[in-house]
Parts: sequence; structure tokens; C-alpha cells
Amino acid sequence: MIPLSWYLIFAALLFCVGLYGVLARRNAIGIMMGVELMLNAVNINLLAFWSYLYADRLNGLVFVAIVFVAAAAEAAVGLALIISAYRRRNTVIAEELTMLKG
Amino acid sequence: MTADFATMLSAVFPEIGLVVLMVVVLGLDLLWRDERVRRLGWITAAGCLFLVVLSLVFALPPAEPLLIWGGMLRLDAAGFVFRIVFLLGAALTALFSLGQDDLQKHGEYYGLMLVSTLGMSLMASAADLIMLYLAIELTSIPLYVLAGFRFRDDKSVEAGIKYLLFGAMTSAVMLYGLSLLYGFSGTTQIAELAEQIDRHSVPVSLLVISLVLVLVGFGFKVSAVPFHFWAPDVYEGAPTPVAGYLSTASKAAGFAVLMRVILTGFWAVTPIWMDLIAGLAIVSMTVGNLLALTQTNIKRLLAYSSIAQAGYILVGVAAGTSFGMSGAVYYLMAYLLTNLVAFGVVSVVGQRVGSDDLSAYAGLSRRAPAVALILLISMLSLGGIPPFAGFVGKVLVFAAAVEAGRWWLALIGVINSIVALYYYLIVLKSAYLLRSEDEQKPLQLMAGWRVALLVCVTGVLVLGVVIAPWFEWAGKAGWALSIY
Amino acid sequence: MSGTQFIFLVTAGVTLAAAVMTVSARKMMHAALWLVLALTGVAVLFALLRSSFFAVVQVLVYIGAIAILIIFSVMLTRRVVQEQRPRVNRLWWVAALLALMLFTGLVATLASWNGLYPTGQAVAGHPEDIGALGLALVDPAGFVIPFEVASLLLLAALVGAVFIALERKGGMQ
Repeated sequence: MIPLSWYLIFAALLFCVGLYGVLARRNAIGIMMGVELMLNAVNINLLAFWSYLYADRLNGLVFVAIVFVAAAAEAAVGLALIISAYRRRNTVIAEELTMLKG
Repeated sequence: MTADFATMLSAVFPEIGLVVLMVVVLGLDLLWRDERVRRLGWITAAGCLFLVVLSLVFALPPAEPLLIWGGMLRLDAAGFVFRIVFLLGAALTALFSLGQDDLQKHGEYYGLMLVSTLGMSLMASAADLIMLYLAIELTSIPLYVLAGFRFRDDKSVEAGIKYLLFGAMTSAVMLYGLSLLYGFSGTTQIAELAEQIDRHSVPVSLLVISLVLVLVGFGFKVSAVPFHFWAPDVYEGAPTPVAGYLSTASKAAGFAVLMRVILTGFWAVTPIWMDLIAGLAIVSMTVGNLLALTQTNIKRLLAYSSIAQAGYILVGVAAGTSFGMSGAVYYLMAYLLTNLVAFGVVSVVGQRVGSDDLSAYAGLSRRAPAVALILLISMLSLGGIPPFAGFVGKVLVFAAAVEAGRWWLALIGVINSIVALYYYLIVLKSAYLLRSEDEQKPLQLMAGWRVALLVCVTGVLVLGVVIAPWFEWAGKAGWALSIY
Repeated sequence: MSGTQFIFLVTAGVTLAAAVMTVSARKMMHAALWLVLALTGVAVLFALLRSSFFAVVQVLVYIGAIAILIIFSVMLTRRVVQEQRPRVNRLWWVAALLALMLFTGLVATLASWNGLYPTGQAVAGHPEDIGALGLALVDPAGFVIPFEVASLLLLAALVGAVFIALERKGGMQ
């Protein structure tokens, strides 16, 4: 049997790797990839809690489903904006983006 | 308490109305391929006002808060007041967008604005973490598109991307916090969170870490320091009416969820969150005001000013009392009208003069005395000068802080308000004292702009002079937020 | 160590390594492919968590849609991106420090919670019940409002994405 804590620690690690990617990358698509990793970590967290502690209730599963929907919507709009910027050859967005200052 | 189906349906009546309105706008956009498409702004504004009337007639909140739709939404005065605030904000924003062909000729612009308004309305009445997260995304995603709506303008697209990346990051951090809350309690019901967390004997340190994670998301929505980095760039790049909408309605929605979640879900760590919020309030006021002092672009200036305003509102929240919440709600109502009219003037001047620089305002008092007077009223209201709405809001939140024994917080707020007056007066100086060569040319105002400006200014005056009826509603909302 | 534990450790190791490569690879295309591997690892973990439904959804939505979308964007934008430039900003160490601090804080506080070691009875539980999930999503006393709102969210995202990314006649000005 795998202890619950393994999943939670794995999710925390994955989340922090994603967060590092979001904060350190200069490329908008690279930042989006980091966000996807963070959202995956959240889903692992939710499913692990659901499966180990609250498998008799459905709210955890619904939460996961909603996260999927929101992630898909966010990715679609984000990549559309990024492509629109690249089409105008706006390299400021392509290469100089940083999340750590205004 | 349970509600029957008819009550539940009438409670979401305004939301259904917003969906119908969106479909109508998108449909008319398809049908009208000619000049008639410019009427869409009027239709959106009229539709939103109609929905305000409908919710005043059909969706009045019950005396006792009521959980509906399986506990997803809470039918109470707070959701009701905020919904009307958002609908008014959307109507005024739609009117300010008139005359800008790259916005008003696209039905998508108004359609997405309505979806976002619907999201805000759900944010304010969400009683479940799942609903809350979904409502935040429903608000944000259309706003990302609206900020980047001028797809031929590099700055607008950049604003859209920046807003999206910051929004996606902070909402993922917040979501991680929410997933921990679910894990500790097994429930997603905000009202049950505290009790269940207590039952599962969750250590305080874990609760605090989830609180901090959740606050990242809310801090982004209300643009409090240190989650404010996006605000100046996004406000500057986004179309001006959208920037106005972002800085008012979206911020108010952020405060609605902040107050609801923090009061109900985290009462076990109340002293800690009161200190955290007080800290956020202090840095937001101070950093916002100091950075605003040196701005020469009026949209950036208003962005930093709106960060500072978020700080003042947080002072009310940090009081942690029902009175503090009421003050915050009153402040938000006042701030919505005041800041919308400020951005309205910026939008008008930006379109007619073609620049958002402070120098573009030189000679405004001679070119358009009425517009200059409206700018004067809005700046003085933002600065907290009586008899305008902003003054009442400030008095209420500072009084709440003093009443809660945090007089030092109120003191910092008052000092900050005095500093802030300086840059509000700089704007007025260019409008009233500086001369320009074009001052013989009068500014032409469109009918829609006149209506919107007039409504806002009247509102600023009314909220500043006739306080009792509005404070009664703010009080009801504050009370509804602080009981569970 | 039991068999499932072994599978977990291998999958977790591969997923984390892929995630690290995703955020550090020099070429965006490589990063995108590493992301696909990381997402697949997460799908395997979903299956280990007795949630075969979400394992399939993960493959369909994340790998099938989102990752492909990302790969397309990388290819469409390749001509603008110069591969020689540094991939991370100067403040990358701040980012690393923040991530490390958050991780230490999370693990240190998680370890102090006794709920982390469930007392056995729920552990053996049943696998997910997709039928019940479906019914709950359309139940007025369940999750019908989030379900409907989610559809609206997807519609709004679709309208917005099409509006922004549409190639118009004379688009370049």
C-alpha cells in the first residue's frame, strides 16, 4: 500500500517545479507549461485526498473535473493570445517576459 | 433551511438573464452586418439596467441567508448588493465603450463582458469552493481576452498576455491552497470548512499555509501589493473602458470572495489573518501611493491609485468586524462609481485628444468645462474629500479599524490619504491651470458618454451626501458576510 | 516494498525528472515533449489512485488537447524565437528560492498532521463510481450549477480564442 503522504509530497514537489518554471522562464509558452504542471499537482492532491480519505463523497471528483475544464479554457485563450502576439513579431512578449517584476 | 425549486430558480434569474442577453448580443452581431452593429453597446447597457430592475423586483434576498442549489450558492444580501454593483459597472462600461470602432463593432466584446459579469455575480454568492474557483475562472478568462481585445495593438495584446499569465499563475497557487483545504476537511462547503477542519485536528501551521496560498489568488484579483505587478502594464495597455472595468468591478468581486472565505472558512485563525490583511493593507497603501507620485501617464497613475485604494478597503476588512465589512462594501460602491467616472474621462480624452499622457489634459477646463468638472469631482472623491462618496467610504473603513482597536492602521491610512491628494491634485493642475494651444477646440461628447458620466457623477454625489439608505444595504451585506 | 510502491516510485521519479526538464530545457520543443511525458506519468498516478476515469480524461484532455495545442504553438512561433538566448531570467535564483521555501514549508507542516495517516477503514474503499458522478453533475441538489457554468466557460473561452487568433484579411498592418 502506498502511503497518502507519498502522493502529497510528490504533488508538492511537482507544484514547486511548476512554480519555478513559471517564475523563471522568459518565454510565454514556457510559463504556460509551468502552469500546467502546477494544475496537475493540484489534481494529484485532490484525487489522493479523495481516494484515501473521502472516497464516499463525490465533491472531490467534481472538483477535479472542474479543474480540467478550467485548465483547458485557460490554455486555449492563453495560446491564442500568444500566437496573436507572435504573429505580430512582438519579441518583447516572446523573449523578455518576466513574472518577477512589473 | 432548504429552498424549493421556484425560489432557487428565481434566485439565479439575473444570471440566466445575463446568459440570454449574451446570446442576444452575439446573435444580433451575426444579423447586423452594417452600421446598426453600433447599437450593441446601448443594448448591452439597457439590458444590464433592466436586469438591475428585475433583481430589485424578483431576486430580493431573504432576511436569513439561504443555501441553494445543493449549497453551491448562498442567497443573501451580500450577493444581492454585489450583483447590482457589477451590473451597473457593466452597463456604464458598455456606454464608455461606444465610439471606439475596434471595440463596439464586435459583438464578442459585449458578449465576453456579460460572461465576465455573470462570473463576478457568481463569485459574490458562491458558497462552495468548487463554485468559487469556477466563478473566478469565468470572470478572469473573458477579461484576459478583453484586455488583449485590440489585436492590432501590440500594447493591448501584451496586456492581455501579461494579465493571463499572472492570472493563471495566481489562480493555480490559490487552487493548490483550496485543494489542501478540501483535503483537511473533506468538504468543499465554505460554511462547513472551519468546523470540519477543527474536527480533523488540523494544526494551525497547515491552516496558515493554505490561507497564504489562497490569499495569493485573492490578492491578485484585488491587486494588492505584492501581487500588483500586472496592474500598471495591463491598465495601460488594455482598452480604457476595460481597464476601468478591471479596476472596479473585478476588484469588487475579488473583495467579495475575500471577505466571504476569510470570515467563514478561517475563523479558527482569525487573529492571524487579521494581521496578514493589515500587513497587505499597509504595503498596498504605501507602495501604491509612492509609485503613483511619479507617474506621467494617467492610466498608470490610476493603476497605482487603484492599488492604494485596495489598501484602504483592506483596512476595513482587517478590522474583522461586521462593521468593517459594511464599511468595505460601502467603500466598494463609492469606489466603483468614482473610478469608473475617472476612467470614463480618460477614455473620452484619450479618444478625442489621442493620448493618455498627463500633458494631454492641459487646457481641459477651457475645452470642455463639464468634463473638467467631472474629473475634479472624481479626483476629489478618490482623494477622500467631502462631500463626495470616497470621503464617506474612507471614514467608514478607518472608523471600523479604530473600533477594532487598530488605530495605528487607521493612522497609516490617513497619512496615506494625504500623500495621495498630491498626485490627484497634479492631475487637476494640468486640467485647470496649464494652458495648451488647442484650448479653443471644444471636445465633442457622444450621447452615451454623457449619460454614463452624468450617472456616475450623480452617484458619487448621492453616495457622498445621502448616506443612510446605502449604508443600510452595505450593513446588511456586511452582516450577511460575517454570519454563517 | 510492495509492487505498487515500486510502480509509484518509478512513475513519480520519471514524472518529476520530466517536469524538471520541462522547466529547464533550452529548446521549447523539447520542453513540450518532456511535458507530454510528465503528463503521462500523472495519468499513471491517477490510475494508481483507483481513478481510471480521470486517467483516461488526463490522456484525452491534457495529452490529447492541451499538450498538442502547446506543441502547435511552439511550432507556429518558432521563427520568432531565438534559441541562443538564455531561457531563464536573471532572477531565476529568486524563483528557485521561493519554490524551495514553499516546498519545505509544505512538507514540514504536512508532516505535523495526523490525518495524513488514515486509520485504515477508508483506505480499502471502492473505486470511483462514474454513474453517480454523472448523476451528481445534473442534480439540482448536487452540482448542476457548476456543470452549466463550466459549459458557459468553455463557450466563452472558445469565442474569445477564435476572436483573438483569427487570421483576418490584411491582418498585418
